[in-house]
Amino acid sequence: MRFSTLVCKNLLRRPTRSLLTMTGIAVGIAAVVALSGIAWGFQKSWEQAYTARGTDMIVTKVTSRDPLPSPFGESIKDDLRQLPHVQGVSGLLSDMVSIEDAPSVLVFGWERNGFLWAHLKLVQGRWPADDQEKTVVVGTLAIEMLRKSIGDTLHIENDDFTICGTFNSGALVENGTVIMTLRQMQRVMDDEGKVNFLNLKLTPGTTDRETEALRQTIKTRFPGYNAFTGGEVAQNNTAIQAAKAMSWATSFIALVVGAVGVANTMLMSVFERIHEIGILLAIGWKRSRIVRLIIYESMALSLVGGLVGIVLGDVAVRLLLVTPWIRGKIQGEVNLPLLGLALLIALGLGVLGGLYPAYRGSRLHPSEALRYE
Amino acid sequence: MTPSAPTPPLAPDPPGSDSGPGVLIEVHNVTRHFEAGRVRALDGVTFMLREREFVAVIGPSGSGKTTLLQMLGALDAPTSGDISFHGQSVQAIRDLSAFRARTIGFIFQSFHLLPTLTALENVQIPMFEMPWKAPERRRRAAELLQAVGLGGRLDHRPAQLSGGERQRVAVARSLANEPRLLLADEPTGNLDSASARCILDLLGAIHQQHGTSLVVVTHNPEVAACADRTLRMLDGRVVSDTLNQGGRT
Repeated sequence: MRFSTLVCKNLLRRPTRSLLTMTGIAVGIAAVVALSGIAWGFQKSWEQAYTARGTDMIVTKVTSRDPLPSPFGESIKDDLRQLPHVQGVSGLLSDMVSIEDAPSVLVFGWERNGFLWAHLKLVQGRWPADDQEKTVVVGTLAIEMLRKSIGDTLHIENDDFTICGTFNSGALVENGTVIMTLRQMQRVMDDEGKVNFLNLKLTPGTTDRETEALRQTIKTRFPGYNAFTGGEVAQNNTAIQAAKAMSWATSFIALVVGAVGVANTMLMSVFERIHEIGILLAIGWKRSRIVRLIIYESMALSLVGGLVGIVLGDVAVRLLLVTPWIRGKIQGEVNLPLLGLALLIALGLGVLGGLYPAYRGSRLHPSEALRYE
Repeated sequence: MTPSAPTPPLAPDPPGSDSGPGVLIEVHNVTRHFEAGRVRALDGVTFMLREREFVAVIGPSGSGKTTLLQMLGALDAPTSGDISFHGQSVQAIRDLSAFRARTIGFIFQSFHLLPTLTALENVQIPMFEMPWKAPERRRRAAELLQAVGLGGRLDHRPAQLSGGERQRVAVARSLANEPRLLLADEPTGNLDSASARCILDLLGAIHQQHGTSLVVVTHNPEVAACADRTLRMLDGRVVSDTLNQGGRT
């Protein structure tokens, strides 16, 4: 007989109780996987937005960690273009704008000849013809949300724009946006000659070290400005941070409930087995072995519960993503690191829930425990 | 065979090993008080147990027999006095669990088997404290159960066994780690006379063939008659210590 056989037999002694405890853990872990999966997906879709645009580095004004920094003069663009490894610079101006019945839509103004347009796929219509034309292209999600179609007028700020096309982006978040040329955006926002992001495309083969050196050069040469990679901008985005914090807070509550369930089960199991623990101590089992037995039982409960929770969480995310009123609006990111983290959390809960019962079990006096019936 | 490998169960000692019994345990003026001294379970007990000796401890209920057995098995510590094992004070032993696992075998009146485990698994439980691998534990447990006549009951759980069979499993378990000393607390107390006779024969065989020292607490005169010596206890004291006819000492 192996030690693990004993662990399993003890857990199977009360199958219903073990099952209920595992269910508690499974629900907690499923909450972690599902909520974190969606929060990570949110971050991932922002990261993808930068990657898809071909942006290697973003230069912005050092202000708060607001997702949309204040506009600044685009005059430094030419200076940036002179720096080593910089292949192209493309400015953009963005803002959250109330468009007709929609309270807040992300509107971009992109340089008409910049490299940002390259990754968009035109679904219907055409692109804006020139900087003077008061037209916009609308993402597939945004056009659905705004209940518009090609040729309709969009009232943005104090001006009317005609929808000339719809597009699809590899980055989910961009499908909910409206894009016009930078000049039109500067005009309508009253921000002539200003951008709030400068997207840098670096020469292929630029190493991480060279990228870091470039970042330092930008910080030194252009005081008040900072340079980030797309991933960093996404990570520092307050909206993403809020989504992640909420997912963790909700998960934490679910996990506490799970841990209390495990501790309760193991404590009951120890109290039920005082006499048996007395036998084990009498025949020479070390107290450390009693501790191991109880902790392993607790960890086994949590491990199985955790594995079930991971499957449940993954299925929940997949179901959410295909639900009609959610489909296309959010992105799930259930990846290996998240699953590994969930499993570690489950094991941690097992250890945590088993510690006190194990301590109680190991402190029993053999002769007293033997008398206990 | 590795140095830690167990010898076959119930095997006779090698020739020439019987060079005369030495002192195994010395109990010197041991007291054990409970409830702040209001209950004196043991009150100045002194005696000596030699190697290979079979001692019966008899006396009325509450005379301190079980408490004495727990002291000998290092399950409880004396309030005063000293118990030494091969000249070393038991109280001074740092790892009492290891001492119990490797030196003492316990047999209880209520068998004290783990209900969820089979006979084979129950016998393996003490072996976790020995450096033996799982197949070795299994093989040895099967041999022990074979030796106590339960070769056909390996996979039965305690609830599927008769009282006598359960006690035989308990005897096999007590021998798991080849103890120097077997302590049995009323081993026939819960058995019918036929099963009691069987257990008694089994203990006698272990004692005779393997030379294991044996202390048996009993109310059963038949058990006491098999012993080399009988200690009679009353009110926490040893009131008589007699050699039985045909005893070894």
